[in-house]
Formats: sequence, structure tokens, C-alpha cells
Amino acid sequence: MFPVRRRNFILGGSALLVLGAGGKALAQAAAMTPHEKELYEAAKKEGGEMTWYTAQSDDITAQTLGRSFESIYPGLKVNVLRTTAQVAYQRITQEIKASAIQCDVFSTTDIGHAVTLKSMHQFEKYVPDNASKVLDVYKNYDPDGYYFVTSAGMIGIGYNTAKLKETDVPKNWTDLLDPKWNNNIALGHPAFSGYVGTWALTLRDQYGWQFFEKLAKNNPRIGRSINDTVTMLNAGESEIAGSGPVGTLLESAQKGNPLAMIYPTDGTVLIIAPSGIMKGCKHPNNARLFMEFLLSEGASRIWVDHFNETIRPEVEAPKGAKSAKDVKTIHPTVEQITKGIPEVIKQWRETFGV
Amino acid sequence: MTDDSIAERAVSFGRVVSRLRRLDASMLVLLAFIAVLVFLVLNPILRLIVSSLQQADTGQFTLDNYRNAYGNIRHLEALANSLELGAGVAFLVTCFAVPIAWAISRTDMPGKAFVRLTVFAAFVTPPYLGAIGWILLAGPNSGWLNKVWMALTGAGHGIFNIYSMTGLILVIAVTSFPYTFVFTSSALDLVSSEMEDAANILGARTLRTTLRVTLPLVTPAIIGGIIISFLEAIALFGAPALIALPARFNVVSTQLWQFFEYPVRVEEAAAYAMPLLAITVLMFWLQRRILGRRGYTSVTGKGGERRMIALGPWRWVMLSYALLVGALSVFLPMLVLFQAAFAKAWGRGFSIDNLTLQNFYYLLFEQTQAKQTILNTFVYAAVTAFAAISLSLAIAYVVNRRLVPWSNVLAFLCMAPFVIPGVVLAIGFYAAYAVPPLALYGTATILILGFTTRFLPIAYTSSAAGLRSINPEMEEAVRILGGSRFLAIRRVLIPLLKKSLAGAWILVFIPATRELSSAIFLVGPNTRVISVMLFDLSEEGNFEVLAALGVILLLATVAIAAIGTKIIGRDFMLRRNS
Repeated sequence: MFPVRRRNFILGGSALLVLGAGGKALAQAAAMTPHEKELYEAAKKEGGEMTWYTAQSDDITAQTLGRSFESIYPGLKVNVLRTTAQVAYQRITQEIKASAIQCDVFSTTDIGHAVTLKSMHQFEKYVPDNASKVLDVYKNYDPDGYYFVTSAGMIGIGYNTAKLKETDVPKNWTDLLDPKWNNNIALGHPAFSGYVGTWALTLRDQYGWQFFEKLAKNNPRIGRSINDTVTMLNAGESEIAGSGPVGTLLESAQKGNPLAMIYPTDGTVLIIAPSGIMKGCKHPNNARLFMEFLLSEGASRIWVDHFNETIRPEVEAPKGAKSAKDVKTIHPTVEQITKGIPEVIKQWRETFGV
Repeated sequence: MTDDSIAERAVSFGRVVSRLRRLDASMLVLLAFIAVLVFLVLNPILRLIVSSLQQADTGQFTLDNYRNAYGNIRHLEALANSLELGAGVAFLVTCFAVPIAWAISRTDMPGKAFVRLTVFAAFVTPPYLGAIGWILLAGPNSGWLNKVWMALTGAGHGIFNIYSMTGLILVIAVTSFPYTFVFTSSALDLVSSEMEDAANILGARTLRTTLRVTLPLVTPAIIGGIIISFLEAIALFGAPALIALPARFNVVSTQLWQFFEYPVRVEEAAAYAMPLLAITVLMFWLQRRILGRRGYTSVTGKGGERRMIALGPWRWVMLSYALLVGALSVFLPMLVLFQAAFAKAWGRGFSIDNLTLQNFYYLLFEQTQAKQTILNTFVYAAVTAFAAISLSLAIAYVVNRRLVPWSNVLAFLCMAPFVIPGVVLAIGFYAAYAVPPLALYGTATILILGFTTRFLPIAYTSSAAGLRSINPEMEEAVRILGGSRFLAIRRVLIPLLKKSLAGAWILVFIPATRELSSAIFLVGPNTRVISVMLFDLSEEGNFEVLAALGVILLLATVAIAAIGTKIIGRDFMLRRNS
């Protein structure tokens, strides 16, 4: 009962988008570079729907990115599949094991995945034109051209402003160990969320694993995705988000939820999240064009609208929100992440029991 | 060599020849169905057992998988947790289902139609949806029940904590008690009042009669229910993933999921799944031991008169109990699910300014996945129902007419998936068919094959029951007049069985729309079903959108079941076929 209506809707929807956005999409389509045009024509011939596994944002932002791509390149379709990074990775390794690659573009938040997939020769080499146009800090993570940083975000401490006064809240990571937060901290899970994995690794490097053994005594409520901590704050289930994703939390606060962000004194955790094209994927040209899109100014604008970092110099940080250059940030190296996250997941299971 | 043996051989040779002669075209088709059965049931399980003994890369024999699977204290704890979970659920399910079945079948309790409807509603509610409802009800700080408690008593925190073993047992029990209910009530429907009268004449009161006479007579049904709910509970994946993780414990199914994390260790998963198979075998062996030597022959089906026991004022007590179970399983979770589905933020409660259709709009128009997923779910479930019924009808026909030797083995194979946990079956399917040479990973085929296998027993039970009721004479008439077996099947059998097949179709369709345990390892990005999408969305805890998707699933399922019931003109689940 859906396919016909769906097509009508998408056609109608993109027409609306084109009109509603004051011809912005049209202008962008017109401004297609010859290279993009070439890819676009080739992608149209591939037909079907490109599949994008992404862990780099919540579902809402991911869908917005997909719809934007479809409106810029009419006729192309993106099947947006948002899960946590480790679940996406689990699915992709299942596909590799079965020699049936379903995914075209793989966007993770655990940069170790990109390193491993590249070394397993599972990524296709493609250097997007836009790769040279991003901010310098995000350039050249893989000089060989198999994967590129397509988004960045931060993790601090979030809290529910209806339940806690600003004077009472933790100022630093170590304040989470205070017994007064017993049963009141929400966390994600490193075996699911790439953000939480990097966060746990960063804090282990800062304070040693004892930090988590003490944190476990405060009986935190452990979900899966890092975004789940924001849901728990909104529901009033927890007062503190111990691993608080800046983007999702500020966007939720903007919608009127009683939330605020703390940027810990020892440093806010910065996440660098890469994407790559799967070798042997079914829509290689569509995938290349999508990589160009993820690195484009337009995509960064969407990221900023959803309170994440911009990776393009042309796009300003959202008003009223702090960007990575305004606060002290900490983050592990790519080598540390590749080696460290599997260790952290193991330690986490021993300490927290799940 | 004696003459005797030669004569014997001649006779047996003659048998083979006559059997070969009967190998007409229709026999070949039937043999093909048998091959399909081996493909669907036997091969995945054998592959599972074999790969549990193989090295991942070389395929050499090893016991390392078992060593790794059980060499970790947390893995053993998960096993113990699953046993506790299964036992708890089986106990609670019996407490819920048996009294209600007795009240409906044997007493003058009022409001029976409504209570039946409630049980049906519990049957269509997937356990993970029940779990989400209960998270909204009994989240330790934010759940509705706890909020009400805090408001009433002024206490600082709530008293219910869904994130616990007890919570998980409750959630699974309230969605799986309909199985035991159906078993028990159909058995009770057959017990005539004569036995009870005898007890009454000897001076026993209603309670004593019920406990000493009526219920013992339906022990096989109750034990069947206990076993099914135990197995169902230890094999479920969705509800434990939602509740056990925040509660900080693992069960076997969530632990099995971890073996599929990178690096994928199918072999270890297979080794770790073996106890589930062993437990299943053990339970059925126990059942035979317990029931084996006793007679329950009073359940003859012919039965004398059946009168409803007059409960007097106690009938209201029974109704209250039934409504309490209904509240736990349907009314309360559905109330909060519907509230969340139409809410901007569920925590803000029941007010006009909190109402919105945005969650549905988001799913149907902004989230491209949802439309495809909803369509997939119902198409796969429908195809599964057709496939399972065609296959089981063919097998039931072969078994019923004894067209091949050892046809009972076929019947056994058809029933075997009933006792194989969905997660285990999915791992077997993944090992056998996801990888080359068949390379079915990410296709609709592997999901439909998996679902067909999983629900084959339901289809087979219905087909076999239907076939038994039809006398072969009618078919034989066709054949004597020169018609082929196919003609007989098409023009005589199918028309006669139409109604019971339609009922079976719905019975397979409903669980297929909500299946998660076996789908989770078999879906690809383009073959997702609602249950898997709910599971993925639940990572972020976005309960409003989750609830909206759940509401769509429930309404569509109920609508299809209602249409089906109208077509076949009877209540397909809750009354006996006879």
C-alpha cells in the first residue's frame, strides 16, 4: 500500500523543499561542479537506493542529511540507517563474513573501525574534491585516501535544570564520583556507542580505570546510545548525564526541555568521526557523491543547525553554543583509540557487569 | 538360504515395486516438500552443532569454542540468569493463565467475552512493546506508577523498579500467558462435569474439586504451557535487551548477541547456544516422564454434559483477578504507549498542549526507513504464513495418508522448530545460508525462510488437525473416477479445509509480524522489519517515536486479524477447532 504513495510523496516533498527553501537547493544543484555532475549522472544510472550506515548523529539529524542529499540530487535515494557505532560495525562485519556487502557509505564514531576496515582492504579508495576544503584540523587523517573525517562532536556533562541548581552541579569529571549522585547518573555503553567508547578511553587515560570502579559504586543507569542519556534527563529518570553529547543535548534544550551543559574543567571530550566507501558496494558513484556531500558546506550547515561541530571554515558555530575552539578539549590519538576501545569495552563489562 | 527368506524377500521386493509404481508426479512434488523440510529444519541445526565443534578459519575439529564460551564467569552467570528468568516466567504465567482459563471454561464468571478479548490483545502485543510500556510505567524515578506513588505518599522515590529481574519476569509473563491460557482452556473445554459431580456427591466443595479433580485432569496442557513459556522466556531477545542491560545483568540471548560483535564468533555463539537446545530436550523428556504412565483418558472429546459452576459472589472475585491480569498485560501498558505515541514529550503527561501527531508524521514522511519497514513486515509475515501453511499442509497430507515410510519423522521435523529458541535458529540459519554458496545475507528470502521455519509448527498443528477431520473416501472417489491426486487435493481437500487454513494463516501471521529474536541476525538494510527498527530506535530511548511505531504495528495487525476473523466467521484463536 505504500510504494506508490511514497514515490508521490518524495516527489512532492522535494518539490516543496525546493520551493520552500527559496530555491536554495536549486542554486546548489546549479552550482554542481563538473566532477559532481559527472558523479551524479553516473549515480543515476546505478539506480536503486544507496545505503548509509551512520552512527555520527541521532536519527533526526541523520534523516535530515539524507533528505537534503536527495533534494540536491533529484532521483538519487539514500536509505539512512542510524544505529550506534558498534552495532553498525557488527552488521558490516557480518556482511563481510557473508561476502554480501549491503552498505555503501559507512560512517562511524569509532575511528578504530576505519583503521581496521582499511587494513582489511574493505574500504574503497576515493579522495573527494571537498576533502581539501575542510578545516585544517580535520584534514589528512588517512593520507592514503580511504576514509575522511565527516563530523565532529563533543561530550561534556549534562544536567536537568528543573531538578538541579547551577551551583550544585558537577564542574569536572571527578565530581561524578560524589556519592550524592547515587542512582542519578545516566551513561551510554561503550560496546554500543562509539562516542561513549572514546569518552571512556579518554577518562581512563586521565584518571586510570579506578575512576570507573568508583563510578560503578554510584550505580549509574546504563543505556546503549549516548543520546539515551538525554532522553533519561528529559524523562526525569536521571539528573546527570555523565556522558552528555553536546549536540543532541543542546538541540533538545532548544526545543524547550530543561537541560544545560557543563564543559568540565579538565577538558571536554572531542570526537573525530570518519566515513568511508565500502569496497564492492552496489552504488559506488552514488557513494562517492555522498562523500562529497558529507564534506560539503551544506552538510556542515545541517550539522551546525543540530548543534554539532562544523568541519567547514565557511560555516559559523551555532549562536549561544560553544564550539570546540572555545573550550578546552581532550581526545586520544587514532592509535590509542584503535587499540584502546576493545580494551575499554572488556574492562567496562567486568566493572559494570554488562 | 531358506525358501522362507526368499519368499520374504519376494514379498518385500513386491512392496518396493508397488511403492515405486505409486511414484507418480504428485509423489515427486511431495518428495520435494520433504527436501525443503530438511533444508529448513535439519540442516541449520546440524550446521549449528557442527560449527560449534569447528575452528573458525580452518574448520578443524576443536573444543575451544566451548572452552571460550564457558570459560568466563559472566557467561555462566548469564546462563544462570536465564534459568531464573525462565522459571520465574513459567511460574507467573501459570498463575495468570490457569485461573482465568478455568473461570472462562468452567464457571459463571461475568464478562467472559471481554476477558477473552483482553487475552487476545495480550497475544498480539510483542514482548518488547510491553517492555517499553512498562519502562514508561515503572521506571524507578520517572515511571507513571512511581510518580503516582510519590504524589500519594510524598515519598522521595518510587517503589517499582522495572530495571530488575522481577521487572523482566513480569514484562515477559504478561505478554506470554496467552499460550498457556489457550492450551488450558481448550483442554478444560473437553472435561465433562461428570467427574466433578462425582467429587461433589462424595462431599467435596468447589475449590477442592477444582484442585483435586478438574485441574489434575488437564495437567498435560498446563505442563505444556509451562514448558512453552519457559522456552519462550529464555529465547527472547528484545525485552531483555531493553530491561536487563540497564538493570546490569545479562541473559543467554543478550550474551549470544555479544558473540556477534566484532570479531564475529559464530562458532562460539553456536557452542554457547547448545545448553538452550539441551534444556529443551530435557524439558520434553521430563514431560514424558511425568505424564507418561498416567492416564488422562477422561479427556475423550465425547464428554457428557458440561455445566458451568455457580461461583456465587466469588464470580466477582474471579472477574477482578482477570481484570487485574488484563490491567498488567494490556490496559496499563497500552494506555501509556498511546499517550507517548501522541505526546510531544511523554514525561509531560496527559494534557491538550502535549498532544501531537508529529511522531507519526516523522515516521511516515521524514524517516524513509519506516514506510519500507512497515511494508516489509506485513509482506514477509503474509508470505511466511502462506509458505508455512502450504508446506505443512503437504507434509500433513503425506503423514496422514502414509505416502512414504517413516512419515512420523516428517511430523517430528515439522514440530521441532517449536522448541528451538528463535535466536538459536537464526544463528543456525546465518551459519548455513547467509554465507556462500547460497549467500542469502540481506535478502528477503532468508528472513522469510527463517520465519517459515520458526512458525512451521503452528501451521502444522492446524493443518494436521484439519486433515484428520476429513475422511479420505471423498478423495478416493475422485481418484476412482480417474482424477489425479492433485485434482483431488485442489477440488476436494482445499475447499473443505478453507476455513481452518484461513485460521491457521492468521495464527502464523500475527507472531510473524512481531518476530524479533530470529530477525535480528538475518536482516539487511533493505529488509528491515518493524521489530528490528524498534530495537534500533530504542538505543536512543526515543520513546515517543517508538510508541508511535508500536501503535502502527498493533493497529495494522488487529485490523488484519479482524478482517480474517470476519472472513472465516469465527474466533480463530480462543475456541477449539472441533
